[in-house]
Amino acid sequence: MPPPPPSLDLTNLPDADVVRLAQEGRERAYRELVRRYERPVFSLIYRMVRDRETSEDLAQETFVKILNHIDKYSPEFKFSSWIFKIANNVAIDHLRRRTLDTVSIDGSPHARTAAESAASALDLAAQQESALDELEARELGTAIEQAVAQLRPLYRACIMLRHVEGRSYEEIASTLDLPLGTVKTYIHRARHELRRALEDSRA
Amino acid sequence: MTRHLLPDEFDLLVDADSGRESGFGVAPLRAHLRECAACHDELEQEIAFTESLDVLPHFTPSLGFADRVMADVHVFEPWHVALGDSVRRLVPASTPLRVLAAGGAVGMGALLTAATVWMLAHADLVAFTTDAAAAQLRATLWAGVLGAVAALAGAPASSGAALVLALGVLVAALALAGTGLRAAAAVSRRVASGEPSAHEA
Repeated sequence: MPPPPPSLDLTNLPDADVVRLAQEGRERAYRELVRRYERPVFSLIYRMVRDRETSEDLAQETFVKILNHIDKYSPEFKFSSWIFKIANNVAIDHLRRRTLDTVSIDGSPHARTAAESAASALDLAAQQESALDELEARELGTAIEQAVAQLRPLYRACIMLRHVEGRSYEEIASTLDLPLGTVKTYIHRARHELRRALEDSRA
Repeated sequence: MTRHLLPDEFDLLVDADSGRESGFGVAPLRAHLRECAACHDELEQEIAFTESLDVLPHFTPSLGFADRVMADVHVFEPWHVALGDSVRRLVPASTPLRVLAAGGAVGMGALLTAATVWMLAHADLVAFTTDAAAAQLRATLWAGVLGAVAALAGAPASSGAALVLALGVLVAALALAGTGLRAAAAVSRRVASGEPSAHEA
């Protein structure tokens, strides 16, 4: 493939061609891949992690991993499946770490005095006042988003890939390294749980 | 079909309705829907619920996200691509200049080919000329060295001690020049990478 003239509009090229240009060291192709996938990748991670700042860091980590190893990409797989697989793994790893590092909102368990305990406690009122949290509340505060948040992470990933990204069952199975039947079962159960949660919230 | 539809059969119908899956085997289910109002209503609710999931929005990261990503990405350009680009940059942009450059390249190629063919046909003459030129060059260089030694020592360079002294000075000068070059290269690398020098650190 000849190199792209400076005026060529990369937005019209399929993913495979843009990836090939990136493998040739074209910075514009790297940027085009970020432009195409920043919203889907960020949305998937944000709905998994539910914290804007952390999600941006994890989305950035995903892109850096992908783009620094773009030479390892094999065109027999869909680029979107590859990037969603990395994004999902990054989010799941973070959730696992967060479960281990959970801190009591009442303060550090190692605090020896009341003053130390108060100093290490999380100030929830102050956090709720921040503009970022207001934005998060607006974005993730709807009944359906709250119901999605109650799903277990793998169900959440399946539902997001199926409904927000419009992926087929086969693509989701390949992205999440799950058997096809398991993906169908997870999506069926997730929909059932979501409907029940929404009905409960209306009641 | 005498029973109501099962949950996975509703899933099958929802997927077929959304057009994302093939809808294989849904004909008998649709026939049942035409006769069963309860299953029909249930399917309507399932479809409405699925559509509410389909319209969940994408979220946008904050401004400058792509720049932050690119700051951590090492864009690697393979050598053959860099070489191709360099060659391509030498090609003129306008057609007349390209024709002129192509003509020049063809002419130069033809001239070099003719010269090579002529040299191959007259190999003995080429060898004789090369030998004579090499001998002349050696003699000139040797005379130059002897002249330089004589100028340094103030005596004819035929004396062995003067020749050894001159060689020692030459070696010392070369060593000093090498050390200086290495130091200059180290300084320029530090300046290029923005590292502080040893005394700044």
